[in-house]
Amino acid sequence: MLHLAMEAEEVLGRIGELPGRCKSLKYFGERLLAFSRGELPETTQKRLGTMCVQVPEEILHALGATPVRLCDGSYAYDRVGAEFMPAKSCPLTRATMGKLHINQEFWSDKLDGIVIPTTCDQKRKMAENLATMGYPVINLEMPATRDTELAVAYWQESMKRLAVQIQDITGTKLTRRNLKRAIAASGLSSQLFRKLQRFQQLERPRLYGVDMFLVMSCYFIDEQASWQEAVRTLLAECEEYPADRQVGQPNSPRVLFTGSPAIFPNLKTPLLIEESGGIIVGDESCSSSRILYDAVAYDEDQLYDMLPAVADRYLKPCTCPCFTPNDNRSRKIAELLETCRADGLVYKTLSGCLPYELEQRTVSESLPGDRGPLLFVETDYSPEDVGQLATRVEAFLESIQNRRRKRN
Amino acid sequence: MGKIKRALNLADIGRFRFWVQLLFFALLVYGGYLAINIGDQLPTFGCVFEEGRGGSCYLMGFQHQMATPWSRLFTGRGIGVLIGLLTFFGFFIIFNKAWCGYTCPLGTIQDWLTILRRRMGIRDSEYSAAVFKRLKIIKYVLLLLLILIPMAIGNSFFGLGKLNHDFGVPFCMVCPGRTVMPLFIGDPSQLAIDFSSLTKMVFTTLGMLVTGVFFVGSFLKKRFFCLFCPMSAFHYIFHKAGLLRLIKDGSKCTKCGNCYRACDMGIRAIAEDLESRNIVKDDCMMCLKCIAVCPEDGCLKASWLGATVYEATAEGFYKRMGDEEVEQ
Repeated sequence: MLHLAMEAEEVLGRIGELPGRCKSLKYFGERLLAFSRGELPETTQKRLGTMCVQVPEEILHALGATPVRLCDGSYAYDRVGAEFMPAKSCPLTRATMGKLHINQEFWSDKLDGIVIPTTCDQKRKMAENLATMGYPVINLEMPATRDTELAVAYWQESMKRLAVQIQDITGTKLTRRNLKRAIAASGLSSQLFRKLQRFQQLERPRLYGVDMFLVMSCYFIDEQASWQEAVRTLLAECEEYPADRQVGQPNSPRVLFTGSPAIFPNLKTPLLIEESGGIIVGDESCSSSRILYDAVAYDEDQLYDMLPAVADRYLKPCTCPCFTPNDNRSRKIAELLETCRADGLVYKTLSGCLPYELEQRTVSESLPGDRGPLLFVETDYSPEDVGQLATRVEAFLESIQNRRRKRN
Repeated sequence: MGKIKRALNLADIGRFRFWVQLLFFALLVYGGYLAINIGDQLPTFGCVFEEGRGGSCYLMGFQHQMATPWSRLFTGRGIGVLIGLLTFFGFFIIFNKAWCGYTCPLGTIQDWLTILRRRMGIRDSEYSAAVFKRLKIIKYVLLLLLILIPMAIGNSFFGLGKLNHDFGVPFCMVCPGRTVMPLFIGDPSQLAIDFSSLTKMVFTTLGMLVTGVFFVGSFLKKRFFCLFCPMSAFHYIFHKAGLLRLIKDGSKCTKCGNCYRACDMGIRAIAEDLESRNIVKDDCMMCLKCIAVCPEDGCLKASWLGATVYEATAEGFYKRMGDEEVEQ
């Protein structure tokens, strides 16, 4: 894990050099660094590993389980995974597999189960592999469509089954009270996240895009209440941020980021954008904005309505490219371009991440004509392409500046 | 102005509606005792069979007028019919379909039954899109019948004989309003089968059955009776003229489905339709619950004469969900 801590430290060091950052962001960096050293938040509860944003944290919390998201972003683990995983698998899967392979003793001891939604092929096959390795895998069956009655009913049943499976692990029964409490707790997280988003979207943003990724990567692994406390502190600092100042420069190109997840410490592309003078004013990705944007809304505070409402939250507004059709995602991006007043869009895919790669065309074609330039990059966790990537990012930011000049 | 608007958007529409409904219930059921009567052309179910009423349903008078022979429709009688319709229209456009969601005593009773069901922890029934689509037609059929049957009293269709006057107000005879509303002033006399003629016997028997179905149905399914209500169908003909509007901005919709979950009428289009700006559908009762659960700023809103009166905001959404408050 030493290697890993170095990687984390290096990335945090680079982020730390960005000017004008809030001081209370330190908490999130420290938590992530501790995690990369193998320190998990203390808990007396059963700990469940999760992957993908469709795992319903409300149900886990209600049943007295602590979730920890296992999707990994480190190059060191990617190297480990590469030794036994196919070359075409995506770095996220490789890194996650690598982590759970090389530290199997550690994780087997810490985890009482791993909940894996049946999203993309890679995750599904990873679930099989992990089960073979002896991990207690729980498949969370997910439909491939989202808008049909059939898909909704299937997903709701799937949620019920998950609740029963977790009940068996924790020994706690799902009740009206514990679910209601868990929904409210997650609702608070969602509320705090949206507030943060507003500071990122300001005319003079008070948060960098990488900071948002940092905060959200931390949400994966942190204890919910401590994360909420830390975000409150951060919000208070954002509130008091001098009105005439901002992160980046007043004329920095405003970029919207979308595509394959950017998980700490792999903040390669977002960090390059912001180091080159751009600011990420918003993102559409499952490693940040998709996690907490939506909140559960039930009509009747009884299990029969709350459980399907939880299911709805993870299905209906989800923009994961594993769904078809997925016009929700293009519409979301179009909406974000407008609310964030973004000058351009960076669409990043991880090599091997087919769903995002395949969706690139439909997304770019469906966007409004005046959307500004679009940069499509395919990359992985390795530092090898950084030079080339930096050149492309700089050219992209330059084209935004040119476009502005022409307009004025 | 901004402050008032914000306070409005943060409002708990459920509680507001509960009290407005109670107020209208009292007005329409007991208003007569205070010498209040707001008219007989109301687009809501104040019932003429109930002595203390403070106003009554237009359908009663409308059915009577439909029995007018066609030849006399173009005389002074015709003007009476027209004035009735115009009065109804005038009342209707003020609140649009919110007459159903906020004033209808039968609707209010159904909502009370829903509160009871929820307290008992009994699950609400949900209908599939296919079933829903089929049920929707019934209210239009009923509307057509309540026009055609009385017409057959004053006129002869296709040379057939005319119907007798026992067919006068066919919908009233089967409407649960006739049997249920008088109970609130302690008058159970309508809860009976009338044997004075075969027609009356059949109608009153049907009425008793419908009353039973009304209670059982609306206990198990929110606003069950409203699915079949011909008044709702009648409203829909005029809804585009309503001063109160329910407006959706599809570009802001994430299709999260919160509005559909909250919708007592089970209208799927509220979540799925991204094109329509005017999102009032024929089953809609404009309770505005959908606005209350919409977490997207300005995606759903209600306006009256062009002025926004209630609008979806993220802040309001979180507040109403009972989450701890964070000013957005």
